[in-house]
Amino acid sequence: MTGQYVSPKSAEFQDMAALTLDAALFACEFRLCDTIAEYLATIIGQSHEDPARYANFSSLLANEIVELAFRSVGPRGRIDFNLLKSDACVRMKVGFPLDKHGRDSWSAPAISSGSEGQQPAGNLIMMGQALGVTLSFDSSTDDRVTLIAEFILQEGIH
Amino acid sequence: MSRSLLSFSAEFNDVNQEILLSGRMRPQTVQEMASAAEVIRRNLDGHSNTVYVNTRRLTHINMTAFNCIAEILSSACKADRQRKIVIVTSSVIAWSAPLFRTLASDEPNLLVEIYDSAFYPGQTFVEDESFIPILRTQTKMTWRHERGILGRHGLRDGLAIADICCGIGDFATLIKRHFNPTRLLALDHSRKSLEYARRVAADFGLTSIEYTYGDASQMLLADNQFDFVTCRHSLQIFDRPDVLLRELYRICKPGGRVYITNEKNSHCLGEPHSESIRWTYDQVARLFSHFDMDVEMGPKSRRLLTDAGFDAIQVETFMVTNLDGDPRDFANMIEAWENVYAGQMAVRRGDPPDFIRRFRQGFKDHVLAALHPKGYAGWPIWAASGRKPY
Ligand SMILES: C[S@@+](CC[C@H](N)C(=O)[O-])C[C@H]1O[C@@H](n2cnc3c(N)ncnc32)[C@H](O)[C@@H]1O
Repeated sequence: MTGQYVSPKSAEFQDMAALTLDAALFACEFRLCDTIAEYLATIIGQSHEDPARYANFSSLLANEIVELAFRSVGPRGRIDFNLLKSDACVRMKVGFPLDKHGRDSWSAPAISSGSEGQQPAGNLIMMGQALGVTLSFDSSTDDRVTLIAEFILQEGIH
Repeated sequence: MSRSLLSFSAEFNDVNQEILLSGRMRPQTVQEMASAAEVIRRNLDGHSNTVYVNTRRLTHINMTAFNCIAEILSSACKADRQRKIVIVTSSVIAWSAPLFRTLASDEPNLLVEIYDSAFYPGQTFVEDESFIPILRTQTKMTWRHERGILGRHGLRDGLAIADICCGIGDFATLIKRHFNPTRLLALDHSRKSLEYARRVAADFGLTSIEYTYGDASQMLLADNQFDFVTCRHSLQIFDRPDVLLRELYRICKPGGRVYITNEKNSHCLGEPHSESIRWTYDQVARLFSHFDMDVEMGPKSRRLLTDAGFDAIQVETFMVTNLDGDPRDFANMIEAWENVYAGQMAVRRGDPPDFIRRFRQGFKDHVLAALHPKGYAGWPIWAASGRKPY
């Protein structure tokens, strides 16, 4: 989505952290977005030369992803937060179930077309572009979507 | 009520003509932005020249808040093209300039500036590279005293430690080697010092020190993280030491301790030529005070720590002297002081050559006292700590 960055293959990634929550529990407490985003960003920061500053930087996008999940998540199932690490990059994945309305708005054409803001991920895309963080979405299964952000450790903060 | 509702603010500062945004701005809905939006809108409307929107203390934002601010700024830009709106961002908060720049591309009268100087009046001197050798020698000389003192103030093996305003990181590497902390974070606002610090740590094979570029008066660190927080020779260079102490208090765990060292420069002494030395160090104190720095702070430590809310306060003094190891080290330190104080600082204050000559003489006499076979030269330091109550 942003830049020429070629994402490392999945095999090069190692698990860093995983968190699973009941979707209904997550969806009823907005405060959890901030808590979870900070938790994940702190771990992302640990891979950087300047952990505190990179945690602050990555928490902005992590939070936007978690908030997007909060607004889109369906009432049943679970939401998974995963962090994976390669040498140069930390990948954040958030997968969650969609409700009927969500399935329509997250269908592939809706994401790739349309103006920012009208599609569910518009704000997130705008932020990703501003901060130079590569984002992608996987909505290939019917009732689930996965949001993926690639934090390239050498970029973003100087 | 959610934490995000409570933890941000927008205020107008009349003196600087600036709207100050601060805190964690992560509202769930745009309605939660209402009062902040009102402050921004009202103060933009009320000013027709240049208005500053200061975001240096805005540590977090979400797109709900950002879009709300963006809309206000963009309509204010369009409403009056003569009015300039300057968004001031912090170099420490890495997301803020790139994010706010997205607004500037559409509005010619909206500018984004990155602010990373003038945190305090003496910053240009202190962050200058010429300070590096001074800090090196100072730490080498103070460590032989502090190693024991730190234990009396509660430092022991296995603690989470933060060294705030760490300079070139020598103290952090010493702590790492002698006290085996579970976590060690070292923060400073001088990129050159941090680069140096990272290099030194790498040379010693010390990999686990977390060096961070930050502003000690607004740290990007969570509350209640550290058992022992140190801030050495640095409170005295801030014009608002209380603001810094509040941050040190915040990151310290309840029951943990904050340890500070400060000087009283006018008490530097030497024999022979004690009068000339005394005169010069009196002048050092005045010179620093001209730049709003208080190098007489040492004996005020107890009051500062008490006012900041600490209890179980301990204060002790020690004197670094020419008899601590190699007298040449002491002499080097004084020469480095002379270089900066009688050099750029006195010149910046506009001191006349006669004054500077006499000012330098006291340093030269101090060096002589340090190197003289029967001489004695001293530099007194106040080490103090307080406990954050449970
Ligand atoms: C006198 S030096 C002391 C350094 C070190 N603690 C020592 O004893 O060697 C003061 C340090 O405070 C740092 N400093 C000044 N303002 C700062 C700020 N706002 N945030 C973080 N560090 C700051 C300077 O860069 C400098 O390294």
